[in-house]
Amino acid sequence: METILLKNIENPNSAEISEYLKTGGYRNLSKALALKPKDIIEETKKAGLRGRGGAGFPTAMKWSFAAADPKFPKYLVCNADEGEPGTFKDRPLLEKNPHLLIEGMAISGYALGAEYGYIYLRGEYPFAKDVLNKAIKQAYEKNYLGDNILGKNIKFHLTVYQGAGAYICGEETALIESLEGRRGQPRSKPPFPVNFGAWNMPTIVNNVETLSNLPYVIQVGGEAYSKIGSKDCTGPKLFCVSGCVEKPGVYELPMGTSLKEIIYNHAGGIKNGKKLKAVFPGGISTPILPADKTDCPMDFISMPRHGSMLGSGAVIVMDESVCMVKVAYRALKFFEHESCGKCTPCREGTDWLRKILERIEHGKGREGDIELLSQVADVIYGRTFCPLGDSAAGLVMSMIKYFKNEIEEHIKNAKCVMSKE
Amino acid sequence: MITITINGKEVHLDKQMTVLEAAKTAGIKIPTLCHHDLLKPYGGCRLCVVEVERMPKLQNSCTLIAADGMVIKTESDVISKVRREILELLLINHPLDCPYCDKAGECELQDLVDKYGPTVSRYKEEKRQVPESHADQIFTRHMGRCVVCTRCVRMCENVQGASAISIVGRGNHSRMEPFSPTSFNCEYCGNCLTVCPVGAILSRLYIHSFRPWQVDKEIETICPYCGVGCSLFVQVRDNSIKRVIPRLGKGLNKGLLCSRGRFGYEFIESNERLKNPLIRKNGKLEQGTWDDALHLIANKLTEIKKAHGGKAIAGMASPRCTNEDNYVFQKFMRMACRTNNIDSISRTGFAAAQNYIEDLLGQGVTSNMISGLKVIVIGNAKGLERFKTLAVVPPVFKEADTLELLLTNIYKAKGVRGEKAAVDKMVREMIEKPAGIEIKEMDELVKMLLEGNSISIVLGMDLVQRSDGHRSLFAIAALTYLLEARLFLLSEKPNEQGLIDMGCVPDMLPGGRPLDIGDFKHKFESAWKGSIPEDSGLTLLEMIEGMNNKNIKALYIMGENPAFNLPNGSHIKDALKSLDFLVVQDIFLTETAELADVVLPALGWAEKEGTYTNLERRVQLLKKAMHSSTVMEDWKILADVSSMMGYDMDYASSEKIMEEIAKVSPLYRDLTYKEISSGDCLWPYHGEPLRGELHKVPITAGLTRDYKADLYLSPEKPLFHSGTLSRRSAALRKICPEPALKISAPHAGKLGLKEGDRVEVSTAQGSINVSISIDDSIKDNRVLLGNNFEGRGVYNLLSYKIDAITKAPGIEGCEVKIERKQ
Repeated sequence: METILLKNIENPNSAEISEYLKTGGYRNLSKALALKPKDIIEETKKAGLRGRGGAGFPTAMKWSFAAADPKFPKYLVCNADEGEPGTFKDRPLLEKNPHLLIEGMAISGYALGAEYGYIYLRGEYPFAKDVLNKAIKQAYEKNYLGDNILGKNIKFHLTVYQGAGAYICGEETALIESLEGRRGQPRSKPPFPVNFGAWNMPTIVNNVETLSNLPYVIQVGGEAYSKIGSKDCTGPKLFCVSGCVEKPGVYELPMGTSLKEIIYNHAGGIKNGKKLKAVFPGGISTPILPADKTDCPMDFISMPRHGSMLGSGAVIVMDESVCMVKVAYRALKFFEHESCGKCTPCREGTDWLRKILERIEHGKGREGDIELLSQVADVIYGRTFCPLGDSAAGLVMSMIKYFKNEIEEHIKNAKCVMSKE
Repeated sequence: MITITINGKEVHLDKQMTVLEAAKTAGIKIPTLCHHDLLKPYGGCRLCVVEVERMPKLQNSCTLIAADGMVIKTESDVISKVRREILELLLINHPLDCPYCDKAGECELQDLVDKYGPTVSRYKEEKRQVPESHADQIFTRHMGRCVVCTRCVRMCENVQGASAISIVGRGNHSRMEPFSPTSFNCEYCGNCLTVCPVGAILSRLYIHSFRPWQVDKEIETICPYCGVGCSLFVQVRDNSIKRVIPRLGKGLNKGLLCSRGRFGYEFIESNERLKNPLIRKNGKLEQGTWDDALHLIANKLTEIKKAHGGKAIAGMASPRCTNEDNYVFQKFMRMACRTNNIDSISRTGFAAAQNYIEDLLGQGVTSNMISGLKVIVIGNAKGLERFKTLAVVPPVFKEADTLELLLTNIYKAKGVRGEKAAVDKMVREMIEKPAGIEIKEMDELVKMLLEGNSISIVLGMDLVQRSDGHRSLFAIAALTYLLEARLFLLSEKPNEQGLIDMGCVPDMLPGGRPLDIGDFKHKFESAWKGSIPEDSGLTLLEMIEGMNNKNIKALYIMGENPAFNLPNGSHIKDALKSLDFLVVQDIFLTETAELADVVLPALGWAEKEGTYTNLERRVQLLKKAMHSSTVMEDWKILADVSSMMGYDMDYASSEKIMEEIAKVSPLYRDLTYKEISSGDCLWPYHGEPLRGELHKVPITAGLTRDYKADLYLSPEKPLFHSGTLSRRSAALRKICPEPALKISAPHAGKLGLKEGDRVEVSTAQGSINVSISIDDSIKDNRVLLGNNFEGRGVYNLLSYKIDAITKAPGIEGCEVKIERKQ
């Protein structure tokens, strides 16, 4: 398949504006500026583009809320806080194809009536920061950004803001808090950022990958774009595959490609000829799937029917030698560390879960621990301020659902039952 | 109208609110830890969950907006289970040290666990350990107990605007810390204490000294410090104040307090309090009896009145005393001493400003409720720094010129409406003769003021203390008129407004009735059964001149310390020493009392009943919280002396005095203590201002003096101190133990001075030794020093010129020399 997002990525100079222009770069911006903003939103709607951050909310619908708000100024924020464990799909876009994102943002800014854009960049991506800043400077020089873009009296300014390394800032309201210079914690919704976002103004927060799709939507039109991928879940999708596979990496495939196909056809199958044990299909926040449940189309609509979610498209593959107690413990250590502390269930509950799992992992499990884990997960689930707590509880719940025996063995034997290699 | 059903009860709401607030209006309490009425919804603790019909899961009532038709249940088995589980989570790391914790008994977590359980915990792991911090002089922090509701941080940042504390660490390691490394570098308002639901932040003033249920009584009263008149509770045990806490939702402060109000109460139980009358014998003050002291005063005053007439006697009333004290004081001066020489320290600011502005715009125009969002600061207003959207720095001591320039700009932009002929004429004169100063923010300032609606002007008293202070007042009054603004005069003492209302001014009777209008005078004469002296009396600084000229022979001071609180202290002391007879009624042996012939000990705040009128003209009740056996109310002392002098005054209580005030003063007509205790009595009631504008608007030309010296000395109004009272409050002395000279960083640099260096500050009046503190809010070549500490007050170093119109002291342009002291 011809790549759209990762186009030209093999070129070592792909981040240079000269290279980008050679392959038709910024032509779509010029095409978009000839359209009316509402026509761009209409095309995006026809394209069926959904947000690639994990929730899969229809992009055009989100935009139309902000566009309809009479308050001004409006802000466009690119969520480049790629923090979900196993996720590295935005990284090649940021580091290798920054002009695609900038072009996408300039188009979106025009469609929304936003004159200021921010790229909220993950604290751990210092290299991407330099690339982005250089690319932005080039775009300003060529008049693709600024007060009078392409002489059309259209204004759009873009700034890179680097986060300080908190997972929670990938949540859009926490991201906005952090962007405003506060402690990164989610805000209460409603009101939603589309009406009361950054500095209480209408704010659109879109993922890097979402915004990078915009030039192509403009290039081919919504109708043609919607032919890619599955019905109601269109377009190309970046899948980042990691763990026990032969060829880990980022793969651009049509939305709806089967999980099995991704693992076996694209990522080269399980490493060293071992057997597949389980997969996180979209990062550790999505419920784990055991090997026999991996024959499912990877898109926002099908995955929930198969007991999980598409999430960020971060496929984490575990083979038969992986200890599930250790996976759960490591995951909970992450969630506990990243819990912002705002709400009681997540702050105290993830700590409690981590402590129990730590004991089991270290051979100090007790009888009744599985019931306790499940009770505590139950106290957290559905009661937290944002989805972080739900993810932590959900992970424990799905581990117990599919791998209860393994955890029981672990407790009974007071050690890991998996063969150590 | 929104109608919702809560627990089967229909609730009608006339505006949008959360389900939690709606339940509150219906008298239904929903448990919370992170929500507080003074703060915005947060949604952190998850205890306020409710069931809403047709909603899939439990909802947080503190963030859920009530929508028409909602059917809500606030208690059920499911809800109780969730609350029990959330409380279990809160307790896993919370130490169960209630027997040792001061909060026990008023701890919100304790109460909730008592109601919802759990009785046993399923948590068997180790508890998180967070060390306690006792590094601060006032607050202790027990962050192991913190439930991360963030009320303290939100209070500090969003309400107080101080941003001195923050949550640090994340997740389970979140805890509150001050930005300064160990102790707090903050305003010590203690509003974080008010909102903390558990024992995580506690006050050291009362730590481990009592339990909340051991309080004998809790008295609703008013703060003794400034003219805002904050409403508060005093908690007393064994006739001693244990704690001051705010009254939530009441008064102008609505539950907030400042450092002085919350922690400055210790003066009342100071060992230095006067307990017995002192009489000067052979040049020394010696303990005497009440009988001897009062007879001596009555005889002496009668003697002087006979020999020289009432005009030889003068009186200084007190803005720290109650309305009742001040009413009796002026009645005593007028009727028993036969003089209108009555004034007070308020002449140096509030009274002078109010008098001038009311002459221009009419009575009751000053001091209206503040509202508004944008804050524009003209000059140095440190407390407002953090709220400001625009700061304008006038050239040093050219505030009046700056305001006149602003006025002429606004006037030109607005156009003339021809209603205020006097104003028009004077503004036109200003336009013809501009002062020739340049203010770079002027265009922006004019634009903001013209575009703004509901403008409030807040005027600090520094501007009045200029030898042409009335020019600023004129400009402010004219701006108030042109912008249809509301005007606030800041008042530094608790009862400055009340003192004026009571007639403790040389030219007005109670209720702001001018002395020179015969009809008013006759009404008072018939009520008071006697004649009131004809001539208007002397103002404060004129009295000082009168003493120096030997025209004033006797001075009666109630609760004031002019030797310390007026500029040019040595000059004032000389004036006081030249008197034939000086009486001082006070609670401490002040610098002034030390010079007196008779010193009478009076009851202080919290020991007596009475009323204060704050800067909004809100009349508020001061209640007795503790008793003292050897001293008397100010009014009682005065009434006794008066009777001995032949003018009978006999009041059974302060309430009886208010009954008389309510009869004679049109401003307080028909007011009763019962009505006042509601806290909502602001005058004028149901009516128009009682005194219309006067047509003569006295104004003189601007001063032409240039200010070319390197440094000038000006008074500072610090947050932690007021003077006589605050310096005897141990907690305030801990927060701020020493006076410090505030200087801007560039000027400190020029002098080679660092923070904390000792310097000698010298002016033509004298010199003192203090340390310096670098202050970024100072933008010019002024250095600031407060007038708070004994022997080291700024007023001793300043001289003054009287503003011929307002009679306030002008203390600008005092050149100062600063030298490092090893």
